[in-house]
Amino acid sequence: MNFWKKYRNDIFLITSLLAVAGIAIGIVLGTRKKVNLTAKISVQNKVVETVNLSDKEDHDYYINGLKGILHVHTHDGAIAVLESNCPHQDCVRMGYVNESNRPIICAYNAVSIVIEGNGQANDVEIG
Amino acid sequence: MKYKTLFSLPLIALLLGCTNTNPVVDQRVFSFDTYINIRLYEGKKTDGEYLEELIAKYDKLSDNYQNRDISNVYTINHTNDDVTISEELYKLLKTSFDVNKEGATYFNPLCGSLAKRWKEALKNKQILDETIKNEELLKMQNTTLTFKENNVVQRLGDAEIDLGGIAKGYVLDRALDYLKEQKINSYLINGGSSSILLGEKKSKDGLFSVGLNDIEGAYIKLKNCFVSTSSKSVQGVEIDGVSYSHIINPKDGSALNENDAVIVISETGYYGDAMSTSMMMNTIDEIKTIEKEHNLKTIVIKSNKIVYSHPDIEVLHR
Repeated sequence: MNFWKKYRNDIFLITSLLAVAGIAIGIVLGTRKKVNLTAKISVQNKVVETVNLSDKEDHDYYINGLKGILHVHTHDGAIAVLESNCPHQDCVRMGYVNESNRPIICAYNAVSIVIEGNGQANDVEIG
Repeated sequence: MKYKTLFSLPLIALLLGCTNTNPVVDQRVFSFDTYINIRLYEGKKTDGEYLEELIAKYDKLSDNYQNRDISNVYTINHTNDDVTISEELYKLLKTSFDVNKEGATYFNPLCGSLAKRWKEALKNKQILDETIKNEELLKMQNTTLTFKENNVVQRLGDAEIDLGGIAKGYVLDRALDYLKEQKINSYLINGGSSSILLGEKKSKDGLFSVGLNDIEGAYIKLKNCFVSTSSKSVQGVEIDGVSYSHIINPKDGSALNENDAVIVISETGYYGDAMSTSMMMNTIDEIKTIEKEHNLKTIVIKSNKIVYSHPDIEVLHR
């Protein structure tokens, strides 16, 4: 009884601190996963653009493919080909992608968009 | 009280350790015929806007294809009279015409018309006619640019100026001046994958991971430097089994390069850009000598293999 009275405030403080620390760790880990998600856009196997998908703002990219220009768009952490001159339009039909196991391929223009995550991507490509 | 202090410490340490790695500014500007990505991890949105304007201004000034309502390189290329230009362009031109004295012996800003002729020929999968090539070389030899007082220049001769091999690096130098003034230390400005300015990354070691496009899975870790590259892999054309480049040898007028790609790590952008262009024609022994004399670090690539890298550069692989 005396113990509870004596340390009640301390126990309350410790419990609160642990709860706050747990939430903070959760936020940090959750954010980190998103920060490292990037899309690599390649033409003929050469990376021409590295896109940071953690940026939630919309961006447009115009990629010079083998036979025409592809209009690529990012929205809410996902990437899509909005327009392409390819006959089958498979790349356009894939819509928005934000998973590393679903690359967008436009064989007609030799363009591929591959999403990489968990620290595998470089910050920038040179060459 | 002791308990409170004791248990608060881990939380404070945890919160202090939570640094924001997302850029404050992440914007793209279409200049120099490519997308330039400005990423600032410190500073304000207005810093990004300033840099965007700076890059756009130098794009206009160095344009040799069209007059953009200012006295630019196109203006100088189309007259033999005095031309009054901005102080910015005057300094850029002076730097471009002096850089060959600093070891960039295969860099010549007067190769504009020769480069245009080669570009037209290669577009049609043809080799430039020997007579035209010799005419253009003669033009280069007989052309001078005189720097006069009050930002006046005069081109005498017919060869055209092309600052394509130096302007992006030069503007990144000016961007760095601004970032230093604003005390911004964490940034990455990517000039279309060929000229890159790196500050310190918001991470423990501050190093950015720079992927080498010509070597699958290869990357280097760098901070606080410029990285420039010249490569014929993207714009190169193969005719009858011979690989021709968009990078012209100003000494013999050919479009043949000794190396497939050269990556230069330097302290200044203009120098890295000019050197990476020039070193496309240098042998590895020559490159080693230049490195020693001019405080550069270089990676040389041939047939998708690294044939030389400075001993201080660690090329990593995934």
